[in-house]
Amino acid sequence: MNILFLKFLFGVMFLTLVFLHLTKKNFLATVAYSIQSLVITIVLFNSFLETNNFYLLLVVFLSLVIKVIIAPIFFTNLIKKHALAFSVSTYFSTPLILIIISILTFIAYSDKFLPLTSIIPNNQALLSIALSVIFMSLFLIINRKGALSQIIGILSLENSILAFIIFAGLEQSPGLQIGVIFNMFIWIIIASVFISMIYKHFGTLNVTSMKNLKD
Amino acid sequence: MLEIITPSVSFFVLLSIFFIGAISSLIYQKNDSIANFLSSFFSIIGSLCGLFFSVSMIIYGKNLSFIINYPYSSFFKISFHIDLLSAFFIFIISLISLFCSIYGVGYLKHFYKKYSIGVFGFFYNLLIGSLLLVVTASNGIFFLIAWEIMSISSYFLVVYDRYDTDNIKAGFLYLIMTYVGTVFIILSFLFIYKYIGSFEFIDIKSGISLIPLSIKNNIFIFTIIGFGTKAGIIPFHIWLPAAHPAAPSHVSALMSGVMIKTGVYMMIRLFVDILQPIPVWWGILILIIGSISSLLGVLYALTEHDIKRLLAFHSIENIGIILLGLGSALIFYSLNMPELALLGLMASLFHTLNHAIFKSLLFLSAGSVINEMHTRNIEEYGGIIKYMPQTAMFFLIGSMAISALPPFNGFFSEWLTYQALFQGVAQLNLSFQGIFIIAASSLAFTGGLALTCFVKAFGIIFLARPRSTKVSSIKESPLSMRIGMGFLALMSILFGLFSGYTSRLLEKIGKDLSIFKDTNYFTSASFYQGIDIKNSFASVSAPIIFVVLIIIIFAVIFIFTFVINKNQKIKIENTWGCGLNLNKRAEITATGFARSIILVFKGILKPSIQNEVEYHDADSRYLPKSRVITIHVKNIYNYYFYQPLRNIINIISLKTKNIQSGNINAYISYIFISLIIALLSVL
Repeated sequence: MNILFLKFLFGVMFLTLVFLHLTKKNFLATVAYSIQSLVITIVLFNSFLETNNFYLLLVVFLSLVIKVIIAPIFFTNLIKKHALAFSVSTYFSTPLILIIISILTFIAYSDKFLPLTSIIPNNQALLSIALSVIFMSLFLIINRKGALSQIIGILSLENSILAFIIFAGLEQSPGLQIGVIFNMFIWIIIASVFISMIYKHFGTLNVTSMKNLKD
Repeated sequence: MLEIITPSVSFFVLLSIFFIGAISSLIYQKNDSIANFLSSFFSIIGSLCGLFFSVSMIIYGKNLSFIINYPYSSFFKISFHIDLLSAFFIFIISLISLFCSIYGVGYLKHFYKKYSIGVFGFFYNLLIGSLLLVVTASNGIFFLIAWEIMSISSYFLVVYDRYDTDNIKAGFLYLIMTYVGTVFIILSFLFIYKYIGSFEFIDIKSGISLIPLSIKNNIFIFTIIGFGTKAGIIPFHIWLPAAHPAAPSHVSALMSGVMIKTGVYMMIRLFVDILQPIPVWWGILILIIGSISSLLGVLYALTEHDIKRLLAFHSIENIGIILLGLGSALIFYSLNMPELALLGLMASLFHTLNHAIFKSLLFLSAGSVINEMHTRNIEEYGGIIKYMPQTAMFFLIGSMAISALPPFNGFFSEWLTYQALFQGVAQLNLSFQGIFIIAASSLAFTGGLALTCFVKAFGIIFLARPRSTKVSSIKESPLSMRIGMGFLALMSILFGLFSGYTSRLLEKIGKDLSIFKDTNYFTSASFYQGIDIKNSFASVSAPIIFVVLIIIIFAVIFIFTFVINKNQKIKIENTWGCGLNLNKRAEITATGFARSIILVFKGILKPSIQNEVEYHDADSRYLPKSRVITIHVKNIYNYYFYQPLRNIINIISLKTKNIQSGNINAYISYIFISLIIALLSVL
């Protein structure tokens, strides 16, 4: 696949992350995650085209079904069920979020991280973006108070790590990837059940309000 | 012949005997008698094999090294190196284990149906096996594994009598202190690995020049704390007076006589053998620690009423004396006086052996009394000599040996320690003389106070009239217990009588270490001549002392029987007590005995005296009915060291608790920040 197209895809991924940080609506966050997952699926499909490994095609299929379709549907149902349309609770204000995102991107692109981003020199630009997306996903988990946003942050982190390992040459066997996706599938179901239970118990998904869990 | 008796196979056979003993007693744990038999049988056989193995190694002067490669790790190897120093410690371990195991056959019977004897046998054999591993391991990681097995097995033996909550507390304290010590030992090995790139002792020794002096100094401090905690040096000794009394008596003997010596072994191995050359201040610090430990150890022993705690404090004192020899050896070697260093090391090794013997004897004798009296408080004893005469004799021999009275073994090792210290005063310049004078004075004080303490202990326990009704119902210990004690008492005499020959062997052990290979002897020794210090500086002959003492004893008996009492009839009457009935109130108590000395050292011991007076008429307060004086001694190391340390840790813990906000976002941010810092520092 053309490197420019790959860069474009990674650019889309980066932007979805920025969008996830800025959006105030849970539904839009779910859509952004879906787009991000679609990007990863395309990248995996590219791997299949290059290797002709049919197991990878299975991975692509599972990724498409679970990450792009099922997971967003689950979240949309949750949003409807508990009327969680808005997700505005963050620890930092929007300008500060943008500043931190810039700093994290700067760190990922800095010379200090060259040993990590130049594992495969041809993919340095892609790896730098992937690293910055990893940092931003972590920051998303930290910054958001809503449990749903945090779950999307974790799933987004998984996507960004996957993007990094594909272009760093650290890709594992398709069997392992299928296992990871299956694991995620189970994880999403469990997380959804937990979210429902948490909402029933606390009447909110704002984690800072769940004081009763503290000792 | 040599190849037959000292191959590596025989050492594995030796270890496997203890392993079989451990497993078999565990298998038969439902039957106490069989478990006791199996545990004791294998530990006795193993100890005998250990004695044979170590004696043959020392006599033939052979070193043994072998490695079992562990394929999954480059730095972990099961490697052994048994030189004469290791063989000497195997000898001590085997000797004490042998007599403790014989003693244990009878002693364990009072635990039947109460606790599992099989479990005891498992940990007991495991402890002896691990002790052997500790003194033979030649790889840092392997050594730490052996060290941990030793610590854990001894912990389970300390808390064996688990229905007593004090024992559980003592075990907990022991476990904490052990792990504090282990942390420092691990740190020191990691420092060494950083510069040498290997945990093998032989590699460390050959590459020691690669370690910068500042790092070596850190390693020294860490190892002093780590191994000093196990050895029981002040102020890291707090576990010792708590844990030793808690354990069954023959385990106390094994712990006090042998286990704490593993700390001394590693100090000798590291400071004399592996880390050389070393700066002179290392030796000075060890000498100072030795002086403080010996003096404070005996002072605290004097204040004790609990017989086993009293003995435990004497272990601290004797470790101090051992360190006096070691410290002087290190100072002499750093000042390029290897002959004198060998003398110091000899003194240290000799006292290590002697202390193992007489302290085990004392613990076993004390255990026999406790077994009958069911209390450790000596104020409740008195007059026991009438009911347990043999035990009293064994305790007396142990007391005389620990008080360094000739012709028992303790005298000769303390004499050698004095000689090493006196040589420091005689041959070094003014700046070092002061330190050696202080150390020698400390040893002199210690010797005098130890004698006082054992006069008190023996007098209060065995002499005079019983202080409780329990005493009249006690009886002499079973045969196996008396055999165990009797042989140790015999060893106390033999190692005194043959001190010349023993010191010759100790010189040989010292000269086996690479730094003393070309060193001339500073002493000459033989059976008749005893030990002679070079240039006729001093000499002592055990046989001559022995003969003179025998002559004096017979002469005194002769004079009293045939001269003074020749024409006098023996008339047995009750002792006149100024018209009062003689009862326990007329006797001096342990507190009363020690009171004057405690008051002399009140600057250190900080005693508080509580007087409780009961009057016949509370209003007039003229005629006292009874008067109780209680002396409390302030635990100064607790007050000035552990208490402030605990306060600091509490403050830090409270501050650290704030990090635990209960907020998942905060936790993830910690992870994220740590990740960024880790990446920035590594990349």
